[in-house]
Amino acid sequence: MNIVVLIKPTPDVTKVRFDVERGVVDRSSAELEINQFDLYAVEVALLIKEVLGGSVTAVSMAPPQGERALRDAVARGVDKAILLTDGRFAGADTLATSYTLAAAVRKLGGYDLILCGEKSVDGDTAHVGPEVAEHLNVPHAAFVTRVVEVSSNKVVVESDYGDAYYLLELQLPALISLSRPVVFRDRVVEPRTPRLGDVLKARRARVEVWDAYYLADVADLEGFGLAGSATRVVRVFNVFEKDRNSITVSGEEGVDRILEVLRSRRLV
Amino acid sequence: MVCRMAFPNNLVAELAGVVGDEWVVTDERALRRYLQDETVPSVHPQASKEVVVVKPGSAEEVAEVLKVANKRRVPVYPRGGGTGLVGGAVPTRPGIVLSLERLDRINVDVENMVAEVEAGVTLARLLEEAEKHGLMFPPHPGDEGAFVGGLVACNAGGSRAVRTGVLRNYVLGLEVVLPTSSILRIGGKTLKNNMGLNLAHLFVGCEGVLGVVTKAWLRLYPRWRHTATLIIPFNGRTATFRTAKKILFTGMVPLAMEYFDRRVIEASAKHLGVSWPIAEGQHFLMVILAEALEDMLYVQLDYIDKVAREEEGLEPFVAQRSDEQKQLLKIRSEIFPALKSSSYDILDTTVPIGSVEEFIESITRIESKHGIWLPVFGHVGDGNLHVHVLNYPSYTVEELGRIVDEVYEAAVALGGTITGEHGVGYIRRKYVRGMLGDVWVETMRALKKSLDPNGILNPDKVLP
Repeated sequence: MNIVVLIKPTPDVTKVRFDVERGVVDRSSAELEINQFDLYAVEVALLIKEVLGGSVTAVSMAPPQGERALRDAVARGVDKAILLTDGRFAGADTLATSYTLAAAVRKLGGYDLILCGEKSVDGDTAHVGPEVAEHLNVPHAAFVTRVVEVSSNKVVVESDYGDAYYLLELQLPALISLSRPVVFRDRVVEPRTPRLGDVLKARRARVEVWDAYYLADVADLEGFGLAGSATRVVRVFNVFEKDRNSITVSGEEGVDRILEVLRSRRLV
Repeated sequence: MVCRMAFPNNLVAELAGVVGDEWVVTDERALRRYLQDETVPSVHPQASKEVVVVKPGSAEEVAEVLKVANKRRVPVYPRGGGTGLVGGAVPTRPGIVLSLERLDRINVDVENMVAEVEAGVTLARLLEEAEKHGLMFPPHPGDEGAFVGGLVACNAGGSRAVRTGVLRNYVLGLEVVLPTSSILRIGGKTLKNNMGLNLAHLFVGCEGVLGVVTKAWLRLYPRWRHTATLIIPFNGRTATFRTAKKILFTGMVPLAMEYFDRRVIEASAKHLGVSWPIAEGQHFLMVILAEALEDMLYVQLDYIDKVAREEEGLEPFVAQRSDEQKQLLKIRSEIFPALKSSSYDILDTTVPIGSVEEFIESITRIESKHGIWLPVFGHVGDGNLHVHVLNYPSYTVEELGRIVDEVYEAAVALGGTITGEHGVGYIRRKYVRGMLGDVWVETMRALKKSLDPNGILNPDKVLP
């Protein structure tokens, strides 16, 4: 079973600072680490490998400092790590990001199962996983809360689509994006604590770096980064609370009063 | 010298005249939370219910309250977050509970790396405000609901003391209202200040018997950018302490170095509804490293890996992500609450760092003698070990008290002390004369008499 895990290196949300005035993240304030949701994808990949054998390859598209997150993945047991980094990848929206990641997976070849977290803690779109699958034209399931069974040719999962849980069977190769918490068979998945020896080895491990040209035989360079993005971030702004006005109401009259206030403010 | 007057009925009106009606609490239900602290119930002092809670909004109002109390000879019990473990904030007689909760202003001077903090600011808020400016307050004395005033008055310690020392080390200046109502301001934002004897340190650790701390100037540092939490499992306890000693003797100063065994840590994890993630070993060393540069961190990780192998440690684990480090620390920190409900008393005995293993052996002997379990865990890096004496069903209160004494005697026999961080408060006064001697007691009494001639401030605390 050849498994690919897509990892987004994201800033440590407990440390990162925001420049509220400029509406940007102060990237120097925190190191990049494995996106919390992807951490569970790594763990599930390793659990599947324990059952079926094979290899786990981690792929990230990030600036060079994203390598730190990939080394963490290696320390946890990932066999191979690939960092897609190039100025051409910068400014990518979810479409261009998924196009680039799909190109890398295509370049790798021979994959059976692609895993990723359902979303990232900084982007929060939940688009990238399913979009990668669409680019690769393979079946996919998002918001997976349980991996029921996996074998060499299929994976059975439960997905929480809000209105109901869906039990889905996907023929491999396929992609699944995992929620948190997630169950693997009957076991609640908790990411393992890395062993010190593995962390020290991972610091010296080889992380392959692929640039845009390396993917030129499997993708159109114009599909990368800002050029390949269908959306643009025009402006980021914060919503500030100006004041808070509390009104106490009670009984039947209270309902009328609430409606009156909401209407007067054009909220209903 | 301690005043013993009954609670005067018209006091409330006079106090309301100082702080305003809304800041005087007399309702019985509202008073309840001011009558206790975090001391375990079996040794918690009996609180007087004849109290009035006053919430001054400035040092000047604190001074006025003390003036009223002096005039009427009414005891005053300064109160912070109520997180103490020795009954230090409990009003043991009719009197005034002086709650400092309204003194909650904080100003972080980034340029000078100093926080000017009023007494009612919680540790959590101090940490948060420092963090907002890319700075940090290095010590971490446990419960983040503690007030800065209490932390200073109790010279708080905590797990980081091995690296940061105790709270005293961070006090650059203090504003203290003396019992006679004068306001003393000492020090400020300079790192050095040799102008006269630094009286600020008279009030750090005085447990509220000499003055009321209303503001502190605390030293901040740039935050450590790279941290790691290591768990080194061992099958035997001897190897655990040998490894701890070896790490400390390299000159490496971890941010924390904690010892606990599987039984204790699993009880804590169970209390939290999680599992302890390390399957191997019976004894554990938790080492927290914090450095400015990643390379410095890795040099230490490399070395600890080597030492652990040499000293029969099992393969160490290391967490570097904040969420994973926090989870490990949370399980470690929850040991105290997990055991609290079944504890008769929680001790914070401290021995010289070279005697930690010998102390644990003494505890094991006490366990065997009585056929009981004495959970032991704590700050092995600075010799401060917490021993929980549990409410063993067949034991009387007197017998449990004797077990406490045996643990204390074991610590003292090794050149240690019965308290490394919790302090004396109410519940340990009976040990003061024996531990500190007549000269200390008389000197302290003279000091108390000089600053608090009417004995109004926090009576029944510290002094025997």
